[in-house]
Amino acid sequence: MSIEKSSKAARGTVQCENTNINLLKANDYVADIIKGEMRKNKTLLINITSSAGSGKTTLMQETAKRLKDKIKMAVMVGDLETERDAVRIRESGVQALQIVTGGICHLEAQMIHQVLPEYDLANIDLLFIENVGNLVCPASFDLGEDYRVTLMATTEGDDKPKKYPRMFLTSDMMLVSKSDLLPYLPFSVDAVVKDAREVNHKLEVIQISALKGEGIDEWCDWLLAKIKEKQSS
Amino acid sequence: MHETSIVNSIINTLEQEFEPKKIDQMIGIYIKVGKLSNIEPRLLHNAFTANYPCGSKFHHVKLHIESTEIKIQCESCNHITQIENYNFRCEKCEEPSKNLIQGEEMLIHKVEFDD
Repeated sequence: MSIEKSSKAARGTVQCENTNINLLKANDYVADIIKGEMRKNKTLLINITSSAGSGKTTLMQETAKRLKDKIKMAVMVGDLETERDAVRIRESGVQALQIVTGGICHLEAQMIHQVLPEYDLANIDLLFIENVGNLVCPASFDLGEDYRVTLMATTEGDDKPKKYPRMFLTSDMMLVSKSDLLPYLPFSVDAVVKDAREVNHKLEVIQISALKGEGIDEWCDWLLAKIKEKQSS
Repeated sequence: MHETSIVNSIINTLEQEFEPKKIDQMIGIYIKVGKLSNIEPRLLHNAFTANYPCGSKFHHVKLHIESTEIKIQCESCNHITQIENYNFRCEKCEEPSKNLIQGEEMLIHKVEFDD
């Protein structure tokens, strides 16, 4: 009886195949295509990430107001539902398309690639992707951007960089937003910068208030310098 | 929700990589996820079981998930440090570093088939 059992078990052979396939292979492939498009058209692509409600759309509006006469700027904005953000940005006089993800918590390169034909890239110097408000999943998806900028609102608390390390590790710039509320909040800019730079020592930081204007000139100058770099590359 | 989309991308990736006949013989999938990948192994197991319950196409396939630590290799002294508390700094020479050699990956590193 026991012999029969063991012979049964030995009948099939288990074969292994070492694959080492990256699960994000499909995303990264499309991200490379987007990078190529941006290189060809000399369009600077910036991926804006943050928690929900940290001021991404207000920053887009303010940036549009200040830069739209100097450069050609456009935005694509991702949300689970509604077209509200795109409508708000269009009111500032720049092209904005809404990507409704229908429940998906992040934007993927494929979604960006699908809406690219709607943009006249040859005539756009600066294209923003306003990602879904979420510090977790968007960190894993390369959208082909030149720079990733993360907003960190003073209302969120100064302990976030270590709680969501991958987002801060993969970002190039952290904008400490809603700085006008600092007098009312137990938020330490020094603490947030210290934690963020322990995660990513190369992270640049600007303190901004899109409503009151603090730091917005510095932010716009940073963008203009990056656009210049891209166009002379 | 995110784990469910990861399960879908595991299956889609394998279906692109292997012939349908081979897919039918698949009995084990080995996944490596880094501690920075924002994937929780237990939730990924649950998502896999929920997507492929008893009687469905892949219910007999066993998912093995290995979680890997975050490691950097120092650009100045080449020393490899396992990162604790998300302080990305070489433990030997104290230089900050972003040179990740492990911990970000989301890999299907091995697949098992029964002939």
